Amino acid sequence: MSVPPRSPVITGLGIVSAPGFGTEEVWRAVSNGESGLKPLTLFQSPRYGQILTGEIQRDLLALGAPTRSSRSDKLGWLAARAAIADAKINFQTSGDRAGVLLGASVGGSYDSEIFLSTLLKQGKMRARPTRFHECVTTVDLIANEFGLFGPSMALATACSSSALAIAMAAEMILSGEADVMLAGGADSMSRMTWGGFHSLLLVDAAGCRPFDAARGGMSLGEGAAMLVLESEESARRRGAKILARLSGWGTSCDAYHATAPHPQGAGAAAAMQSALRRAGLEPAAIDYVNAHGTGTRDNDVAEAIALKTVFHNRVPPFSSTKRAFGHALAASGAMEAVVCVEALRRQELPPNPGFSKCDPAIGLEPVVEKRHASLTHVMSNSFGFGGNNGVLIFSRPETMPQTRAPKKIEVVVGGIGVIGPGNVTLKEIGAPLPPGKGLVHSCGALTEAVTLTPNQRRRLSRLQQMALITARQSHPPDASQRVAVAIGTGLGCMEDAGAFIENLVAKDEREPMPSRFPNSVHNSPAGQVAIDQGARGMNSAPTAGEITFECALWQGICQLATNEADLALAGAVDELDKYLLSIGQRWRAWDDTIKPGEGAVVASLAAAEQMPARLARVTIVKLGRYRRLFDAEREADWIASAVDLSQVGIILSGAKGFRQLEPLYEGVVTALLKRKKLELQTYKQKCGEFHAASAFGFSVAVNLARERNCGVLLYTLSLHGAKALCLVQPP
Amino acid sequence: MQISTHELKSKIIESLKLQDIIPEQIDDDAPLFGTGLGLDSIDALELVVLLERDYGIVIKDIEEGRPAFRSVKTLAEFIAAKRPQ
Repeated sequence: MSVPPRSPVITGLGIVSAPGFGTEEVWRAVSNGESGLKPLTLFQSPRYGQILTGEIQRDLLALGAPTRSSRSDKLGWLAARAAIADAKINFQTSGDRAGVLLGASVGGSYDSEIFLSTLLKQGKMRARPTRFHECVTTVDLIANEFGLFGPSMALATACSSSALAIAMAAEMILSGEADVMLAGGADSMSRMTWGGFHSLLLVDAAGCRPFDAARGGMSLGEGAAMLVLESEESARRRGAKILARLSGWGTSCDAYHATAPHPQGAGAAAAMQSALRRAGLEPAAIDYVNAHGTGTRDNDVAEAIALKTVFHNRVPPFSSTKRAFGHALAASGAMEAVVCVEALRRQELPPNPGFSKCDPAIGLEPVVEKRHASLTHVMSNSFGFGGNNGVLIFSRPETMPQTRAPKKIEVVVGGIGVIGPGNVTLKEIGAPLPPGKGLVHSCGALTEAVTLTPNQRRRLSRLQQMALITARQSHPPDASQRVAVAIGTGLGCMEDAGAFIENLVAKDEREPMPSRFPNSVHNSPAGQVAIDQGARGMNSAPTAGEITFECALWQGICQLATNEADLALAGAVDELDKYLLSIGQRWRAWDDTIKPGEGAVVASLAAAEQMPARLARVTIVKLGRYRRLFDAEREADWIASAVDLSQVGIILSGAKGFRQLEPLYEGVVTALLKRKKLELQTYKQKCGEFHAASAFGFSVAVNLARERNCGVLLYTLSLHGAKALCLVQPP
Repeated sequence: MQISTHELKSKIIESLKLQDIIPEQIDDDAPLFGTGLGLDSIDALELVVLLERDYGIVIKDIEEGRPAFRSVKTLAEFIAAKRPQ
């Protein structure tokens, strides 16, 4: 019997945050209980003024951050550079075995808001800032510049994003997809999140006071933190200094409400228990918990109940460091991971600034002053919108926890739901700017929406409804199974985000739209599907440009292979809205042969023995990145090394989409055809070009594999360097 | 100053996009949250926006509004008492 693998190790840390840049500065501030909060200066807030936030007030460009990028990109890039330097690693020869997994939720929103504001107030359209709108641009920037050509994606599950990203990076290493993963999170402040959290009345103008009896909400923040996560073998081979070990990780979903946590902290407790199981540790082994502790009434009570559920009457010393950083949303889990690793290295407990009086509803007191302690295993909690929970356990390097690698399982597709294109004119989408000629591929009105409950119909936008409907088509809700959900989106809910920001700008923050804001997060489709299906397993929303669907597929299969779920719902969804249409036309992204599209596809997946009635098998999902200097032969080698070409009859490529990608697809297909005679097919002529289009391609692949009784290789390239392979075989 | 509960119900239906319901079907004393109309915490925030937009009443802490959000009647009384003259 083979020896179980050892959990990955951490060999480098990089952090940029309000209280400091780099671990030394950050630890000095955090361990002394200093608040990094200062009055807001980044933008004018007519209604809320200059209240305390964790804003970074240094000149990012002077520090070397790239010019042509969003604020989030700059923060993420600086943290990545610092982590790589700390790990003393270079990817010159090992780049193919290294990837990037980033938690992000704001993306380029801060910069896009400037675009929208100029458009609305001055009628001028400066499309350039929107080039960096997507969350994944930070990943592409880092991976391309530092030369990490392995699997990469962004995960956008709101405030738990980077905890999930670090957990998934560990799975990437354990499954052998990579030796090194740069994992963390980056989020800048934005008017959207500022106005959004204020509209939910969740911001404490006096600064957050986590777990305190008089707490009145959270403080917003921004920043980035990156960890170099490495297989132990890789770290030892290159003689790296091992800072700590990532020994456990657990994810769960409350499946309860879009914004409110489960009142008893059920999902939070489940994620902590899952992380303990993964690490093979008893609760008593945990020496410190870095709490999510946002300072909102509901979070802190629910988290305290969850801590008591897991640790009973022996809750370890805990603290929230949110007053030091502000709540940096998707970056906060990674920033707190840095705090945990530093606490382990220095054998010190960081305090909980803002706490002075115990709340009887909580009944627990956090650490109030820095103190020495013997720390072996520490836990970090992150919880987000959609009841999305991620928990990490870090351990001293010399500990020897053994973990389980994903098993090789045969994965089958049980069902598939598709909302595909019909033909609707631009006018029906409501595009305000260039009228455009010809048709777009739009799903039109969702007539199936009648099957939704009245609350789902009134509250959910088209994007979430598309996800709900296709998820139900793929698998009817079944409470007896452990269900994981990975539904990605390239751009998220454009309709809600656009309306929210437009309203914010037009009315100077008056009359906000509190029900629009929770929909605007990228994980709102996945979160709503979880509530609808009662799915309490991992809940993820990958975002990775044109390979978004394949990333969701990888994550869904990972949950089956690690036996964290019996069923995985994997899919992708994107919608066309007026802004996207206008900007796309400005860029001439589309023409008479290639049209913009939209749609949703969700597939239900299970291990073969769990699902006797099946449509097809999915035998390979592989993610990577191509070089700027595109080498078609090298790409064909990559495919041939991952896939036994004798099992492939048809190659289904993402060609007939963005014209920049045409020569790339053509080169690779030509190179492949020299190796084996394959039939070439495309699908974008049917569905149009959009981020989730390869999900539609997957549904075509499933049909082709069945009809033609042969293996179908779905091959997708993204505009910014990512690539994906998926082999679909007949049932 | 008295507030017409009928008008208030119409505003609530519009602001919360309540489906398949007319003002006459909402009882003045019926609970708005939980069982009654099945509203949730996000609806409460939409009511906060409605109170400010239409009646000039600013609520900064949701706890302030909680007693008022029990029913249409309590909400009308709250508005009558708090509305700037």
